[in-house]
Amino acid sequence: MNDFNPNILAFCCNWCSYAGADLAGVNRLQMPPNVNVVRVMCSASVKPEYVFKAISQGIDGVLVLGCHIGDCHYLTGNHRTAKRIPLAAKILDKVGIDSRRVRLDWVSAAEGEKFQKVVTEFVEEMRSLGPNPMKEVRF
Amino acid sequence: MLLERVDNPGKLRFDVPYQMAMILTKINRFVKEGKIAIVARRCDEKAIAELVKRDLLDGSRLELIGLACSAEQVEACRCTDPCPSRVDIGQPSEPVKDDQNFAGMLDMSLEDRLDFWINQFRKCNKCFGCTLNCPVCFCDECLLEEKTFAPDKGIPPGLTFHLIRTVHLADKCVECGECERSCPVDIPLLSLRKMVNRDMKKMFNYVSGDPERMSPLLTTLEGDPMEDDPNVC
Ligand code: SF4
Ligand code: SF4
Ligand code: FES
Repeated sequence: MNDFNPNILAFCCNWCSYAGADLAGVNRLQMPPNVNVVRVMCSASVKPEYVFKAISQGIDGVLVLGCHIGDCHYLTGNHRTAKRIPLAAKILDKVGIDSRRVRLDWVSAAEGEKFQKVVTEFVEEMRSLGPNPMKEVRF
Repeated sequence: MLLERVDNPGKLRFDVPYQMAMILTKINRFVKEGKIAIVARRCDEKAIAELVKRDLLDGSRLELIGLACSAEQVEACRCTDPCPSRVDIGQPSEPVKDDQNFAGMLDMSLEDRLDFWINQFRKCNKCFGCTLNCPVCFCDECLLEEKTFAPDKGIPPGLTFHLIRTVHLADKCVECGECERSCPVDIPLLSLRKMVNRDMKKMFNYVSGDPERMSPLLTTLEGDPMEDDPNVC
């Protein structure tokens, strides 16, 4: 097995996904250690700019987690996320960065297990993709 | 024709600058009342539509005089949509069917593509020519002048700079090509814009410059308007 340890950034919205992450912790679910969780008020505050900055600086993968559609605390915040994050991934692909490095998913406050599953799968996928090539690039 | 209805049309110019749409957003400063007639190519017309949708320009004060681009111009811009909705001047020319410039870029492997773009972006000297000359780049305070995203000292500004411009223009770019023409170091910016516009069409069936439909990035999944201002990037 490949022993590369990817460095992951996970944006979690305060109202659902962060609570889901918390639940996963309370239930002592096994979690990969290489995930840095950033709590944001809504997944809509994760503008593509931040995703691009993280990827340009060499983070291996960015995970954006929000409430399920219809459950956003700000009603239509995640509608915006649902469109802009896939677009950001497409743009990365255009300049030669694997679009799988950016993933969007919905995790509710009750879905501790789903949080664990999404994170573990994502870490495994990044492990198989290998390091972000931007790590080696000096401008 | 329109001109017959006007007593004194003033001086007419046909060498419309591509930045016309942005210049017009300051319309109230130089013409307080009445209408302004503008000679507009297809791309000017689309840029105006983008700004009108975002409440940056009052469309009811404009009268467009359609200018059809010549075959040479169409060729130079690799334009796939050259004919204004109303042709008053010139003869309509055939659009370019397939833009070969970016076809090659999509055939490259991911690694080669990254290599290609990094080498292109390394040439950037952050002159902001691409931004200032764009007809639809409208923010008063540009995010790219903040050091959060582009270092305030030193060039080149890095990959984030160009990716942010790309995403901001994804739902606005009318493919006029002015960014590529303005770039002093010949970065193929138009090709990048065209590729992303094609993605926008595939993902949301949206084409920038559509006067009827708001950008999908500013509407809900059902296509309803969101509450906040439409004129933020
Ligand atoms: S082609 Fe360039 S200058 Fe013209 S609208 Fe698109 S981004 Fe702006
Ligand atoms: S015009 Fe070219 S050199 Fe100037 S900021 Fe834009 S990409 Fe960089
Ligand atoms: S509050 Fe959770 S996605 Fe908006």
